[in-house]
Amino acid sequence: MVGLIIGFKKERKMDIISQLQEQVNTIAALAFNTFGTLQRDAHPVKLSPNYPDPPPPSNPTEDPATAAGNVSEQPKLMTAALVKAAKQFDALVAALPPAEGGEEVQMKRIAELQAENDAVGQELQRQLEAAEKELKEVQELFGQATDNCLNLKRPD
Amino acid sequence: MATATYPPPPPYYRLYKDYLQNPKSAPEPPPPIEGTYVCFGSNYTTDDVLPTLEEQGVRQLYPKGPNIDFKKELRSLNRELQLHILELADVLVERPSQYARRVEEISLIFKNLHHLLNSLRPHQARATLIHILELQIQRRKQAVEDIKRRREDARKLLKESIATLDGN
Repeated sequence: MVGLIIGFKKERKMDIISQLQEQVNTIAALAFNTFGTLQRDAHPVKLSPNYPDPPPPSNPTEDPATAAGNVSEQPKLMTAALVKAAKQFDALVAALPPAEGGEEVQMKRIAELQAENDAVGQELQRQLEAAEKELKEVQELFGQATDNCLNLKRPD
Repeated sequence: MATATYPPPPPYYRLYKDYLQNPKSAPEPPPPIEGTYVCFGSNYTTDDVLPTLEEQGVRQLYPKGPNIDFKKELRSLNRELQLHILELADVLVERPSQYARRVEEISLIFKNLHHLLNSLRPHQARATLIHILELQIQRRKQAVEDIKRRREDARKLLKESIATLDGN
C-alpha cells in the first residue's frame, strides 16, 4: 500500500481504495485512543457511598490531564474527531467511481479492446512499412540526382 | 562473528559460450512455473486470489452474490461500526465486564470492511487495464494519422518539385 509522502516533497495522492483503507485504519486508531484515554483519565469508581472521595491533587500542574483543564473536554474533542473521520469515510465512498457491471462485462470489454488494439497496431505497422519504403525510394532517387549533377550528365 | 562468503554464481554461464555466433546452441530459459512451488522452505502458489472470509474463519456481514453494491455495503458497515462503538461505550459504563463481546464485534466489522476493500482491488486492476488499452489505441490511431499526413505531404512536395524541374 503506497503511503503519503509528507514533508518537504509535494504530497502525492493515493488511489481511492488505498485512501479508504487508510481511513478505516484511522477510524480504528481513533476509537482505540478514545477508549484508552477515557479509561486512563476516568475518575475511580465509587465502591460504596460511605467511602469519602480521594483528596483532589494538590498541585494541578503535576497532573497533565487536569492541567489542560480538559478532563471533560477530551471526550468531546476525541468523539468529534471520530465522527469527522467517519464522515470522511462516507465522502470517500461517495467518491468511488461507479461500478459498471461485473467481472464478465469488464472481461468482454478487455477482449474487445485487445482485438481493436491488434487491428490498429497492424494498420500502424503497414503504414510504417510503406512510409519507410517511400523514404528509401526518395533517398535513392536523390542520390541518383546528385550523382547526375556532379557528373554533369544531361537528365533523360 | 563468523561470516560466510556469498555462494558462487550458478555454473550455467559456460553453456552460453557461443551464444553470439549461434543463439540456438545455448539452452532455452526455464518455462514459467505453474501451480505451487517451494521457495526457501515455504510453499507458494502462483494463483494469487483473495481468500474468502469463511476460509479465514470470519463471519461475513455483507450479503454474498455475484454483484455487490460496494458503496452501499461500505456505508452500511460504517454505520454499523459507529453504532457498535457507541454500544461499547454504553457497556463500559453500565456492565463493564461484558466488554469482550462488543470488542469482538467491532473487530469483526473492521475485518469485513478491509475484506470488502480488498475485493475491490481486482475490479480496480481490470478498470486500469481497460483505461491503459484505450489510451494505447488512441495513441496508435494518432500515430497512424500522423504517418498518413506526412506521406501525403511528402508526395505533394515531390509532385511540386517535379513540376518545377520540368518547367525548367
